[in-house]
Amino acid sequence: MLTKLASRVRFTAMQARVGVLVILCVFFTIRSPFFFTSTNLVNVLVNGAVIGIIGSAMTLLLVARQVDVSVGSAIGFAGAVFAVVARDYGMAWGVVGAVAAAMAIAGINAVAIIKFRVNSILTTLATLVAFRGASKLVMDGRAVRVEGFRFLGRTRFEVGGIEIPVAVIVLLLVVAVFFVLMRLTKYGQQMYAIGANPQAARLAGIPLEKQVAIAFVLTGATVALASMIVVSQVGAVSPTTGERMEFLALTGVIVGGASLYGGRGSVIGTLVAILILAVLDNGLVLLQVQSFWQEVSRGVLLLGAVVFDQLGRREAEVRMDV
Amino acid sequence: MCDVRGRGTSAASRGDEVMTYVNGPSAPLLEIRGLSKHYGTIRALDDVSFTLDRDEIVGLLGDNGAGKSTLVKCLAGAVIPTAGEVYLNGDRKVFSTPAEARDEGIETVYQQLALVDIFDIPANFYLGREVVRDGWRGKLGMLNRRLMRKRARAAVEALPARFPNLDADIETMSGGQRQVVAISRAGFWGGRLLLLDEPTAALGVKEAAAVLEMIGAMVSSAETDMAMIVISHNMEHVWSICTRLLILRQGRLVADLPKSETTRQEVVAHITGATA
Repeated sequence: MLTKLASRVRFTAMQARVGVLVILCVFFTIRSPFFFTSTNLVNVLVNGAVIGIIGSAMTLLLVARQVDVSVGSAIGFAGAVFAVVARDYGMAWGVVGAVAAAMAIAGINAVAIIKFRVNSILTTLATLVAFRGASKLVMDGRAVRVEGFRFLGRTRFEVGGIEIPVAVIVLLLVVAVFFVLMRLTKYGQQMYAIGANPQAARLAGIPLEKQVAIAFVLTGATVALASMIVVSQVGAVSPTTGERMEFLALTGVIVGGASLYGGRGSVIGTLVAILILAVLDNGLVLLQVQSFWQEVSRGVLLLGAVVFDQLGRREAEVRMDV
Repeated sequence: MCDVRGRGTSAASRGDEVMTYVNGPSAPLLEIRGLSKHYGTIRALDDVSFTLDRDEIVGLLGDNGAGKSTLVKCLAGAVIPTAGEVYLNGDRKVFSTPAEARDEGIETVYQQLALVDIFDIPANFYLGREVVRDGWRGKLGMLNRRLMRKRARAAVEALPARFPNLDADIETMSGGQRQVVAISRAGFWGGRLLLLDEPTAALGVKEAAAVLEMIGAMVSSAETDMAMIVISHNMEHVWSICTRLLILRQGRLVADLPKSETTRQEVVAHITGATA
């Protein structure tokens, strides 16, 4: 429900994102014979899958002017609980443990933010630090192997001659769910209102606390899913599992058009942005560019997106005065 | 919580329902007895009592800090009074949230308008009261945007105000247009009591005149009995549309005057406290 003008602006931003993605793909295809092969492209998707799954939930949070930087540690902690419980009690209990661990962190975040009204950046920064330590405690500081859990991370289905990994299918399902939730439901509409004008949302009788709490619980669900995919892909959990994933996801969400000021963002934008980041990483590796450049390029992209967001904001302010 | 004894038909879920009066139209639409709001030792509102009848447009005047906004917020459920009682059609009501006041047909247009800039007019009309589809899609909370658009369009076309474009986001609109949208939203829900907090404060002379004209037309064209309290510190604005004036000073109601029995000089004197 946007004006033709604003949707045109958004559409152009979306076009720019897709354009960057296409240009990068064309560039890497020309420069490397290995890039445009089905195996490699599937690899790109697999590399983006985990970040895309937590990025979807992160998009919802940013739309409502919230953020969760603890997701990386939450993945590490849920993974550690999974590995230890699965080793001692079997795989099924491991899954239960991972979900419970992820939900416990989401619950702590939600209670601190909603009941005690602590800023979400500060709350999740605290849980980011605390649960990194907690996961090391659970693992006794050592990596734990996980045998025989291949399905989420390493199973592939053949579709039209291309082997599609389960993780990629999960990613697409998660993006679809969040797309419907945010664009077509009352809940999504209210989350945009909460982010764009919390005071108006409250006066309109929207239950802010409840809606935001639901978003943190959904984040917990994506964390549980992501942690099991990571564990399944790697076959082990280490004290650094999930580290920096919060930054990768946040970068993707912001490059994807969400704003820390709330009210903006879409999961499709996030998905395209995460593909841009994944293609960039993959292409630079194929071209044997020193890995430090990957980080530099990510930073440049993030800065570009933030500047773009700011320009759009100023344009809106100018239009207001007319 | 809310006293449900005399609850009328709620218009909360639909824009086209008509209010019914449980106790009949004999009791005044609104009666306030001894309403007070204290913040520590500060008496923002001190023992205010008055009644309001159907079809009245009352101007609530007073200097900055006189308690105008506090009074309106108490009626709107945004502030919980320290003491005092509120009666609607003779039934006592206690509001602890804005939603409860709204369910009783009290619609408020706040000074800061409370519009969502990134939404268009229909989405703002239905803010917090979004309509979902029928059947399983409704159970999943899927929005019925087409219905909301249709109803908002019909309502907007019935109003004296002119909107350039129903699809336009609020952020593309001028201050006057935003004010008109906010007032139209309140009118759209067909409340029995409309509270307008400084509807012309941020507007230029021409825009203010257009907004005032629209307010007057809205009350006279309303199908149901409706009353309105318009807050202002600009007497000229209120004078043109209201039938009665309530004047607050330092939290107390110092005058309650029918417009026909007073003069502007007298009103100004009450506002400033020049008369005893």
